[in-house]
Amino acid sequence: MLKVEGLKKMYGRMAALDGLCMHVREGALYGFVGPNGAGKTTTIKILTGLLLPDEGTVTVDGMDAMKEPGKVMEKIGYVPDFFGVYDNLKVWEYMELFSACGGLYGLKARRRSGDLLEQVGLGEKAQYYVDGLSRGMKQRLCLARALIHNPPILVMDEPTSGLDPGTRYEFKEILKELREQGKTVVISSHILSELAEVCTDIGIVEQGKMVVEGSIDDILDQINVRSPLLITVCRNKEQALNLLRSHPYVETITIRQNDIMVGFTGEQEDEAMLLKQLIDAGVMVGGFVRERGNLESVFLQIINHEEGMVLISES
Amino acid sequence: MKVNPIYWQETRVSSRSFRLPLIIFLCNTILALAALLNMYSMVTQAKATAEIQYSSFLNLYVLVACIEFVMILVIVPALTSGSISGERERQTLNLLLTTRMTPADIVIGKLMASLSTMILLIVSSFPVLALVFIYGGVTVKDIVLLLIAFVSTAVLSGSVGICCSSVFKKSTIATVVSYCVMVALVLGTMALGKASGASGSSFLAWPLLMNPAVPFSAAMEEQLGNVWRITVLESWAGSSFRRFTAGDWLWISLMAQLLFAVFCLHMAIRRVNPRRKRRWRY
Repeated sequence: MLKVEGLKKMYGRMAALDGLCMHVREGALYGFVGPNGAGKTTTIKILTGLLLPDEGTVTVDGMDAMKEPGKVMEKIGYVPDFFGVYDNLKVWEYMELFSACGGLYGLKARRRSGDLLEQVGLGEKAQYYVDGLSRGMKQRLCLARALIHNPPILVMDEPTSGLDPGTRYEFKEILKELREQGKTVVISSHILSELAEVCTDIGIVEQGKMVVEGSIDDILDQINVRSPLLITVCRNKEQALNLLRSHPYVETITIRQNDIMVGFTGEQEDEAMLLKQLIDAGVMVGGFVRERGNLESVFLQIINHEEGMVLISES
Repeated sequence: MKVNPIYWQETRVSSRSFRLPLIIFLCNTILALAALLNMYSMVTQAKATAEIQYSSFLNLYVLVACIEFVMILVIVPALTSGSISGERERQTLNLLLTTRMTPADIVIGKLMASLSTMILLIVSSFPVLALVFIYGGVTVKDIVLLLIAFVSTAVLSGSVGICCSSVFKKSTIATVVSYCVMVALVLGTMALGKASGASGSSFLAWPLLMNPAVPFSAAMEEQLGNVWRITVLESWAGSSFRRFTAGDWLWISLMAQLLFAVFCLHMAIRRVNPRRKRRWRY
């Protein structure tokens, strides 16, 4: 649906994007993650036609965004990290303005605006002035505005920054609804726990390059293999430590009270074998589990430059 | 009918704000005061001398037209110089650019909105201008010519304002620079015209073609009379000024100003376009 290849962008001597590649499949809810200054906003601005890249291609639904920017714009709705509202317009007038900007006029525009305002929960606020809306409502209004021309792709840059947990929850629910409607959503955010809940795919960008990209399950499975084993020992801790120190698959051992965290490179069968060895050695094992990885741990591993975590899957 | 959405939005917002009625009220108050004072002085003179000077009513027309011309020069840049920079400050420009609207649509919509405000102002001042019809001396052709001069001045100063607004990010800087450009176009070219008369070089007189006072002066030719024009304008701009207000030069001057306005709008469209290669920033 959305394909970015070898995107490069320089700001003076600084490379904001250094050959970034990105593949978003149709219907995906794609989390675009990276530390500050990684190039997320620059990428989003290029995707939405607000910036020209120095090199690279952007293809949207088979169309080259550089050659057919007008047609591509019709396929993309953009929600920026700021509100971008006219305070002296009423909510319905704001929607009508952007309907007209998107080529929708008259009754058709009014119906579409009404439906979208209902969808984002602002149906009753249509007659209110925009400056009378709360922060969360303004952001929802921006979302409704971005959807006014019914684009198949929605690009959102930090849409939930500065919103309270309640509004963030509502926003998440709207995202899920959009996904059910078949929209492809690219969402850049720093709130990784939220992305993990709603996203199907993620792409982690650092220093202008895509370092990890793929479906969220694949990436979490990959991180699980490298996550430490958490062994809770009730009795004979010293014996357990002696056994672990001599084990060929054990790389690191960290002790936290009764728990021992083991950096274990073996597979599932090796884990089972280790458990058996511990029991045979008379160690009373209260718990034996590999810690479940999450998006935060993936992100931290990537930005801390840990090796062996490169998973690029074209889906 | 499909109206430019930017024009629609601007006119809706300006009609809702307090600024537009205030501008109309102040401008017409100034014009009405000038006209009434002029009439009062005529009546007083008639009472004292038992003689009515009909040329005084023409002076009334000239006075009102001149005040209106100066007001256009002052108000239009103020209306337009915050148009694009204001959108940037509100962070709405990028949103507009991600829609079907082209940079040209946005710039033209902004210009149309400020011109419609100006036309409203001109039309609202007609009753004051029409005072002169009671006594005669001004034909419909004169009024039409005056309107053309007003509109061309509004287009020129509006285009300069929008161009500055697109080049500079802050509305304050854009306003200051657009006023500087207008001063250069009106007074600067007059100074060059005078220098041309003094040095005998006709080359320096050519920029006078860009002066919005030239078509205005030509439109007022009948009413201004030679005395006013020669003593005042020629003392400012030298004898070259008279040359450009006569015959085809007037239309050439109008064309030159229109071309300059188109150039300014083209610059503004280029600056607004996010897909152009950036060379410099402010």
